[in-house]
Amino acid sequence: MALPLKYNFRNVLVRWRATLATMLGIALLVAVYVLVQALAVGLQKSASNTGDPRNVMIVRKGSTAESSSQVSLAQLQTIRYWPQIAHDEQGVPILSADVITLISQPRIDGRGEANVSVRGLTPAGRQLRPQVKLISGRWFTPGQREVTVSGKMARRFAGFQVGDTFRTAGNTLTVVGEFDGGSSAFDSEVWMDADEARSLFDRENYSSLLVRVTDPAAVQAITARIENDKRLPLRSETEVKYYSDQTATALPIRILGNFLATAMSVGAVFAAMNTMYASVGARTREIGTLRVLGFRRRSVLAGFILEGALLAAIGGALGCLLALPLDGYSTGTMSFNSFSETVFEFRITPWLATKGMIFSIIVGVIGSLLPALRASRLPVIAALKSV
Amino acid sequence: MAETIVKIRDLTKIYAQGEIQVTALDHITLDIAAGEFLALMGPSGSGKSTLLHIIAGVDRPTSGECLVQGVDVTKLNESQLADWRNQNVGFIFQTFNLIPVLTAAENVELPLLLTQLDRRQRRKQVETALEVVGLGDRAKHLPRQLSGGQEQRVAIARALVTDPKLIVADEPTGNLDSHSAQEVLTALQSLRRDAGKTIIMVTHDPKAAAFGTRQIHLEKGELSA
Amino acid sequence: MTLSTFILKNAFRNKRRALLSVSSVAVSLFLLVTLQVALRELTLPVESPGAELRVCARNKVSLTNPLPARQRPIIEKIPGVEGVTPFTWFGGQYQNEGAMTFAQFAMDPKETRTVFTDFKLTDAELARFQSEKTAAIIGKISADKYHFKVGDHITLNSTVYPGALEFTIAGIFSGTADDRMMLFHQDYLDDSIGTPGLVGMWWLKVKTAEDMPRVITAINQAFANTAAEVRAESERAFQLGFISMLGNIKTLIASISTVVVFTLVLVTASTMSMAVRERFRELAILKALGFRRRELFVFILAESFGLAVAGAGLGIGAAYCAYTFGNINKMTHGIFVSFEVTPRIMGLAALVAVALGILSALAPALAVARMSVVNGLKTLD
Repeated sequence: MALPLKYNFRNVLVRWRATLATMLGIALLVAVYVLVQALAVGLQKSASNTGDPRNVMIVRKGSTAESSSQVSLAQLQTIRYWPQIAHDEQGVPILSADVITLISQPRIDGRGEANVSVRGLTPAGRQLRPQVKLISGRWFTPGQREVTVSGKMARRFAGFQVGDTFRTAGNTLTVVGEFDGGSSAFDSEVWMDADEARSLFDRENYSSLLVRVTDPAAVQAITARIENDKRLPLRSETEVKYYSDQTATALPIRILGNFLATAMSVGAVFAAMNTMYASVGARTREIGTLRVLGFRRRSVLAGFILEGALLAAIGGALGCLLALPLDGYSTGTMSFNSFSETVFEFRITPWLATKGMIFSIIVGVIGSLLPALRASRLPVIAALKSV
Repeated sequence: MAETIVKIRDLTKIYAQGEIQVTALDHITLDIAAGEFLALMGPSGSGKSTLLHIIAGVDRPTSGECLVQGVDVTKLNESQLADWRNQNVGFIFQTFNLIPVLTAAENVELPLLLTQLDRRQRRKQVETALEVVGLGDRAKHLPRQLSGGQEQRVAIARALVTDPKLIVADEPTGNLDSHSAQEVLTALQSLRRDAGKTIIMVTHDPKAAAFGTRQIHLEKGELSA
Repeated sequence: MTLSTFILKNAFRNKRRALLSVSSVAVSLFLLVTLQVALRELTLPVESPGAELRVCARNKVSLTNPLPARQRPIIEKIPGVEGVTPFTWFGGQYQNEGAMTFAQFAMDPKETRTVFTDFKLTDAELARFQSEKTAAIIGKISADKYHFKVGDHITLNSTVYPGALEFTIAGIFSGTADDRMMLFHQDYLDDSIGTPGLVGMWWLKVKTAEDMPRVITAINQAFANTAAEVRAESERAFQLGFISMLGNIKTLIASISTVVVFTLVLVTASTMSMAVRERFRELAILKALGFRRRELFVFILAESFGLAVAGAGLGIGAAYCAYTFGNINKMTHGIFVSFEVTPRIMGLAALVAVALGILSALAPALAVARMSVVNGLKTLD
């Protein structure tokens, strides 16, 4: 028969002063774990939350980033009138030929420069990306040296506020508006007119094509057609899949996270162990009494493991609360994929918080295992005679 | 007269203390009748507590047998002993041994948690036990809110609550002032008289021993007079 | 029995508790050292011999924009320039690996020794590299990882240029800042899948340190207001630029490290406090026997210190051994090439251990100071 839960629960609470440091330690462990994981999740999400399922992206075969892909004018002309591509009311094919360039710009905090992704779009380009919405100012005018920047980028770089100008490639560009990328890869971009971009950066070719297909079956048709045409060294994918394949800089973060979690949890296990040993040591007479009354060894064992788990769970819950304020916090770093600044947010999902809690409970259980065994192995009378 | 509730035959307990062998009990033979209030007396180290522990199923002898109501407790295994203790023995300790985080009522309820009784039945037993010791109004108090004498009375209630035949008490008044000691001993007396319980008490205090119906002495592991 | 043996015996009376305390300290300090070393590696540009005399020139728009090859003769004519080579990123993938684990650059092999003085390569291998167009030299780390030998043919798929190229390994070098990279002929690239007339960037060596500022200015001015404006900077500045691109990540690691270490210090201090608190009884007895408060403090402090020092030795020692004798490249999946545990970092960790020793002695010491003998003895029960 198990020891009453209220016994275990109250014992954890009553010894709060002695166990505070351990609880705090576990709280911080869980907070760090959750935050580092949230970083990785945020990075990944920013890449994957991009794309309209009706769109197909066409890039050069073998390229891993739009910025290193080339699509020539001739290739564009070939593809433009394919029947798989949807048309608008005027009968114009809905496609955008984009030019991606990276420009080095100073950070707003004055701490050096970073590469910014500039996307030159044709007018259809905005229609193909309905998740991007204007939040202030206006869209760039084709034919003008104007840009509309992502709101998140405006906050990170100097000279990106509406009304500002900045120089690149020997020319001055004016910022005329800000857009919201809808938590996607576009949040890390600056947009301008495609032809302006080509002339500004002296580019003969486009980087990629984005097309709206007539129906889902057309995706297969386009892919097959491109595969089979030897003159087209291109590959095509649905836009959604293209971006979700771009696994961002998550790997080093994951490694760091795992290393930290492992090392910290070793320390936390030691701390939990010590706390529980102290608890057992202080309660030997109590344990003996319970045994005399008829409670079995395994009840004592289970009871102490439960207390360890409870202790850790409280720490874990505290840790999740500590991490929570950072949910949605926006930051950026260089993505090794695109070689440019990628903006992302810390994303603390309910699943992540749950993982944090489970982690803390595991630490508590492991830490209290040996002390609980010790408690359960106390011979009954030695406990009664204890000083 | 009354039936013999405890039959001890040739009980010996030898334990090792470092390199030395200590004989705590030396071939003890003893009969205890139902309804007795037996006072076990003797100087420190005489083995009286050891004898009590073996009868209560808390320790094992080196040889010999101890039958309590026909059951040889020396032959039961660990789990059987635990169950047996729960049903048949009420233990009162010198240091009260109440669980600090539980209220008086919850402390008294503890042994009942190991039985099949439901919550309502348990509550009733607890109330009754606390009434018997006169602490019905202190049910929700924590041990630290009770005086020494009150704590010991709660312990008595706990010892009673499963309605065991046997109550064993190890120096129950050792930590009490004379007034509380008096109360506790009187309570034990009435348990024997009114409820027919058999009480075995270890004490070194002759005044406490006087409350019993029989006094026996132990010295160096052997019975004398 | 002397006083110190008494203290020692006491400390290890509860072996398990002592072990746990020492282990806690060891783990905390191991972690501290690791994080400090990682931070240092991330923020310190790699020192390579010859770096003080090297300059790199890239497209002012960004590193990813190419430069016209015709800029080379203009740079060569600038006084103070000893040698110039193009340096073009190939972005090749080896076999079916998703991510590139080593960089490949197209360059002018004749300028190898001029610009990169730190190369350790045999003359024979260098000669072969320079004479064969499809030859490539590769750093020892990658050679070891993929078991490349001189004479091997390897094919790399470019993610930047359309297609793949096959190379012959002419030599294996070491002694540079990045012994993973591969170098090959710019001509080879131009003649096959590259863009003739364009290079990635320029690397050049100046004659003396005094020449450097002048050369940098000269290069920047030479191409100002052209279609391909240039940003020239010293190698050190270039590396720092890279680091700054990592941006917040640095701050993030630094702040996480602080939190982590603070946590462990807190936990360890409390653990050790508990260990010392157990001594109360003995301390009360000692006090009753006539030992003065001062001497009791010494007991407490000595025990705390002893545990802290033992843990420090273990933790710092383990970190030092792991990172000096271990294969860093393999352990960190290629993210770090070197992981140096500097004396400064070890000193910092030792300081933390000292602080730990003092901190965990604090609470018990205070309690002992306030304790009356009677109260202390009461714990005897």
